[in-house]
Amino acid sequence: MLTIKDLHASVGDKEILKGVNLEINPGEVHAIMGPNGSGKSTLSAVLAGRDTYTVTEGAAMFEGQDLLKLTPEERSWLGLFLGFQYPIEIPGVSNVNFMKAAVNEQRKRRDLPALSPGEFMKLMREKMAYVEMDASFASRGVNVGFSGGEKKRNEIFQMAMLEPKLSILDETDSGLDVDALRIVGNGVNKLRTKENSMIVITHYQRLLDYIVPDVIHVFYEGRIIKTAGRDLALEIEKRGYDWIIEEAEANDGK
Amino acid sequence: MENNYLLAPKANHGFSCKVPMKGTRQIFVVNGKVEGTGKPLALSFPKGEINADMLQVIGVRTTVEGLHAGIAGVCGAKGTAAEGQQVIDLNATDSIEFGEDCNEKLLLCSHTFTPDQFVTNERTLITLHRGASADITVMQNEDNRSKHFTDYTIDLEEGSNLKMVFISLHGGEISNNLKVNLNGEHIDCVVNGLCLADRSQKMTTQVLMEHFKPNCTSNQLFKYILDDNAVADFFGLIRVAQDAQKTNAYQANHNLLISDNAKVHTRPQLEIYADDVKCSHGSTIGRLNEDELFYLRSRGISLPEARLLQQKAFANGVLETISNENLRLRMESLVDKRLRGEFSSCKNCSKNCC
Repeated sequence: MLTIKDLHASVGDKEILKGVNLEINPGEVHAIMGPNGSGKSTLSAVLAGRDTYTVTEGAAMFEGQDLLKLTPEERSWLGLFLGFQYPIEIPGVSNVNFMKAAVNEQRKRRDLPALSPGEFMKLMREKMAYVEMDASFASRGVNVGFSGGEKKRNEIFQMAMLEPKLSILDETDSGLDVDALRIVGNGVNKLRTKENSMIVITHYQRLLDYIVPDVIHVFYEGRIIKTAGRDLALEIEKRGYDWIIEEAEANDGK
Repeated sequence: MENNYLLAPKANHGFSCKVPMKGTRQIFVVNGKVEGTGKPLALSFPKGEINADMLQVIGVRTTVEGLHAGIAGVCGAKGTAAEGQQVIDLNATDSIEFGEDCNEKLLLCSHTFTPDQFVTNERTLITLHRGASADITVMQNEDNRSKHFTDYTIDLEEGSNLKMVFISLHGGEISNNLKVNLNGEHIDCVVNGLCLADRSQKMTTQVLMEHFKPNCTSNQLFKYILDDNAVADFFGLIRVAQDAQKTNAYQANHNLLISDNAKVHTRPQLEIYADDVKCSHGSTIGRLNEDELFYLRSRGISLPEARLLQQKAFANGVLETISNENLRLRMESLVDKRLRGEFSSCKNCSKNCC
């Protein structure tokens, strides 16, 4: 589904991604962990098409297409979804109008007719229930005046509406209290199928209690330095990253 | 609909207005003369009258045989005609008077029917007597070659309540010059405006808000969306007289520049002679927010649609202040069409789009 080969990206003169390799197959959940500033969010932004980053080397193929050549909306139409670490507030645009524009444009690209207002509202209500969102969310401005937890729930709600093939969840658990974490974790779990895949970027084991990953990658200085099974998260929780970094540096012969 | 005309037009000029709702009464004013009377507009709402329905005044300019550049000399100071222009110089003054304690809703529309180079100079006096409430929406939709200059002098008496919303949808050059006199105490005055301009259109707004007496409130919100080579000018002054203690006055002008060549000059000003008042003003000039654009696009909303959503969100700040829901929805859809560029592709836009 997604193949990333030796991906390098920079902001201005500063190189942030320094050779990322990653292969994700349908139905797989990959967790990416790693210390702050290691480039995890940059990877997600580059994959989603944020133009503040320049890809200098390498390739990323998604669903058989050269992902890096596509606009952000084209990536979304192909089935890519980014759950933002810091969801953007858009005053004056209501959640319902935002999602109506998004869903109908996605349907148009798949040669499906636009949903009738009734069908659309039914879909909204159904998906809002996934993340226990109150009905009043629909008419409120996108993320305007939302608490941290509400913003993250809104991201998962949007994911539920768009039914992406690959979701990249960038620190969806940060800023959540235990109840919100449970709601978000369960919401994501309900969206998991045999066909769709996820990249879950997180600092904590606790989200992975809900969304159990097939594999865990440790990101450090712009690349993946260790890949292992789900037990790695528990070990990181106990021992931190230093031992992994030392191990990697020893392997590099530093 | 026929029954709704107070003064039925002699000819409807091929004009069909989709704005009015059930119950709306209409008056046609052609080149400054009310059809049926041949005189300038002189509206007077009687004391104590409460009207739930709207009165719509449709002011139009249309080609008059034999009226050409030669009469430029009689034009006012602002609009002078070049060769080939049609000058509609409304020497006479329109007056709209709201009697004591009345409560009225008024829609003032302005259109050009033919794509001649109209230059219109207009003067409108609006008076709200003691305790009167007026809800006025001004809709301006004219041809690209039209120039329209209007001076409004608005006198507000004690306890009156004015809400005025300008929607300047389209026009070669539109200039609204307002002088609002708050002559009594306990007046509540709201004047808002939304101006949309592209190509080489020009929009100018001048507001002089004169607080003469204590305990009054005034609010202004003017928003401009400018594309291509459009130019806008906003000049707003709140003047609070020495006697006008406990004044509460606010003024904001926000501008969204879509293209690199669009320009806006904004001059918000305060002049305060009283010492116990709450007054503030603010002005911003900005572009479409890149973070918002990326967020919208990452959900599959195409770039043009995302830009449109942002512009509509910006415009919404003014549109939502239109009290009549049906009228607001109608204006929203016109703004949507306008921002999609559907007006410019239709030569006689002002005739057919609304």
